[in-house]
Amino acid sequence: MATERGTIESFGHVSRTAGTVFRYLLLAATLFGIVALTVLLIYVANDAIRPLTADPGWHLTFLLTLVLPTLAVGAYLFRTDPPSFRFGGAIVGTLAVSTMFAGGVAMLFVDIVEPITWFAYVLALCLALGGVVVVERLDRRLPFLVRFVAAGVIVLVSLLIVPGAVTSLPVYPSDGVLLTLSVGAPIALVVGRYVAAAEGRRRRFAAVAATLVVVGLGAFVGPLVGVTPVPATVVLAVAVVPTGGYAIGQVRRNPERRAGLGLAGVILGGTVVGAVAVDALGFAGPQSWVDWGFLTSAHSGTAADAGLYPAIGGSILLMVTVAALSFPLGVGAAVYLEEYAPDNRLTRFIDVNISNLAGVPSVVYGLLGLGVFVTYLGQSTGTVLIGGATLALLILPIVIISAREALRSVPDSMRQASYGMGATRWQTIKNVVLPRAFPGILTGTILALGRAIGETAPLIMIGAPNVLFSLPTELSSKVSAMPLQVYAWASLFASEPFYQAAVPAGVVVLLIVLLSMNSIAIVLRNKYQSDQ
Amino acid sequence: MSTDDLTQDLTQRTENAPQELLTRSFFFLCAVLSIVTTLSIIVLLTTEAAKFFSVTAPLMGVEGPTASVVDFLTGTEWVINNEQFGVLPLVSATLAITIGSAVVSLPLGVATAIYLSEYATPRARSLLKPALEVLAGVPTVVYGFFAVVYITPALKTIIPNLGTFNMLSASIVVGIMIIPMVASISEDAMSAVPDSLRQAGYGMGATKFDVSVGIVVPASLSGIFSSFILALSRAIGETMAVTVAAGSQANLLNPLNPAAYLEGALPMTAAMVNLLTGDITGGGIAYRSLFAIGLTLFVITLVMNIISDLVAQRYREEY
Repeated sequence: MATERGTIESFGHVSRTAGTVFRYLLLAATLFGIVALTVLLIYVANDAIRPLTADPGWHLTFLLTLVLPTLAVGAYLFRTDPPSFRFGGAIVGTLAVSTMFAGGVAMLFVDIVEPITWFAYVLALCLALGGVVVVERLDRRLPFLVRFVAAGVIVLVSLLIVPGAVTSLPVYPSDGVLLTLSVGAPIALVVGRYVAAAEGRRRRFAAVAATLVVVGLGAFVGPLVGVTPVPATVVLAVAVVPTGGYAIGQVRRNPERRAGLGLAGVILGGTVVGAVAVDALGFAGPQSWVDWGFLTSAHSGTAADAGLYPAIGGSILLMVTVAALSFPLGVGAAVYLEEYAPDNRLTRFIDVNISNLAGVPSVVYGLLGLGVFVTYLGQSTGTVLIGGATLALLILPIVIISAREALRSVPDSMRQASYGMGATRWQTIKNVVLPRAFPGILTGTILALGRAIGETAPLIMIGAPNVLFSLPTELSSKVSAMPLQVYAWASLFASEPFYQAAVPAGVVVLLIVLLSMNSIAIVLRNKYQSDQ
Repeated sequence: MSTDDLTQDLTQRTENAPQELLTRSFFFLCAVLSIVTTLSIIVLLTTEAAKFFSVTAPLMGVEGPTASVVDFLTGTEWVINNEQFGVLPLVSATLAITIGSAVVSLPLGVATAIYLSEYATPRARSLLKPALEVLAGVPTVVYGFFAVVYITPALKTIIPNLGTFNMLSASIVVGIMIIPMVASISEDAMSAVPDSLRQAGYGMGATKFDVSVGIVVPASLSGIFSSFILALSRAIGETMAVTVAAGSQANLLNPLNPAAYLEGALPMTAAMVNLLTGDITGGGIAYRSLFAIGLTLFVITLVMNIISDLVAQRYREEY
């Protein structure tokens, strides 16, 4: 071998073996990390879900009702009609991800925000927006500053007064109605927009009404199948309606892909039939550690009873806080650097500074949070607010860098065209640049949020508690998070039962959340790239 | 005439309208926030660390126990309860993690980059790149758990006297974690090598292997080096994986001695986490030692990032 190695010195000796060996070595190196991680993931999933503890009959039933039909239909579609195959897969994927998302939202309304409070704030926001629109309509008649101040006053007044007034009403509608109006209605409006774009305005009202009816039914149908009105309404609004809307819209636009519906039907139907059959035949399922009890109970000293509920809620609240802080600030900085900044020393300094900040270890950001927020500003340790602020600072450089890339990909000719129509710089950014760059910005932000969700060290630094028994209900209450809980189990409660039960289960839940966030981002990016 | 000048002309009159000024200043403030962040990191770390050292503590008006700079930098014992703050054991453990993870990640990362940029079909690339991103997206605490629960027992069957917490498996997982970083930055550098160079190589009768190793790699060497430095700086700052997997016993080890990797040690980042999970009171010497280590860590990673930038810029081959 060694003598055959063809380098520049041994010119003229062309060896096919060396090239082939090199090529496969490279491939092996590329696959090493991926394969290693896959093996580890299989191990941890096996430890957490324990599929082998199920009855053989259980496996057999699902093999017959779910796996074989799915494989048969899937293989047939994959060979004959790949677009339909992808469409069917997309429906099931959307349903799975949106159901998970709906679970998180339902958790918010069950334990963190009363539906009436949420409704009051949504109402206030609507009134505020309505007021601003009215003021903006007076466009030419009033100078900008007057309009600005008037709009600000309207927003402040409605946000300060309306929620208090609504929540202090003596009687108000049931939770189901409130959520239908405050969660269902915005989703119905979004659905209406899509329908209006695809099929004209007349269909829009039908679509909006249909959405509202479906969501409203949740409060009545839910109790029949053993689900309380609040989660039922949320699941319908956040999971069923978007998935159904996507499926119906695609089929109407591309009728030749409707075979994909068959694939989705086989998978969903097989799951339901299998579950019913297993129940009827009395086959026991796997004794998985990731079960309903694990997702809905708090930490416990015994590994088998320990649950992740407060940590899941904490992660959701942290994610909302981080997104609310880092998205406007990150996009704002990116817009300044790409659209406004003159090429001077300050700009270059900010530029270098951001790339250096991206390399600062997360534990140092934790120290920053501890020192600035806790010691100097006197906040109490480990709250949602300072946790969110610290994580937001941590991902800010990543958000800025990816948003800049997205802004840079907007062709200059579009800006010039906008200026040519007499638009000002801000109008150009608002109407041309940002809409065009939005999918790219969103992708970068989701990836960065995934990073924030997985971070543990900054939370430890700001003194987030290792063990928390209830959900945080406001910005100033203590927060735990999924990775923090996993760390607590893996280090402070380090013992065989925890290593075998609670930690793998926590890892699996954390990874499922992160992988679905990553896949949303990747799907968005692929769609965005193929659109351009 | 660049388009920028054109923009200037067209928008000059509206530039000072209140709406434009308002939005412009909001965006400017967002951009300046990054400088504020950096400044507050620097100010915070230096003032708190200054309160820790006996030389500077009087200037900061701090009473109570302090540590001398010399003891901090040259001490070989890190025992909080005895107030022995020698940073050397922590630095040696961090160095060991860095070297160990470099052994894993640098060759694999460069090989991955060569494969992706020179050999892979577009389809293979579109599958492999997201898969590699997943490697970097797994939370580090999960990697730490993998190291303790799966990798260490597996390695124990080969090396029987491996400790439960050891530097070897910690280095391996940190290495796996930073492969994507080496690979993606190196691949960017390799993709930037102009095709004409490759064509010239083929024209001279070189094989694909010759072109990859003899032309593309040397031409993108500055990018590869800067990816090495960035990835190692990431390994130095890596926290949760080493906290979970490397143990909590601070001992001075020789990073170049392979036998040292069989035991646990306490890298700087893990020491910081341990300080906080133990009961330390705000304002005590242990609390301030946290900032002293933090400052050390920050300076090391900052210097490495700057070097990486300089290498990428100064030694870039211009085509």
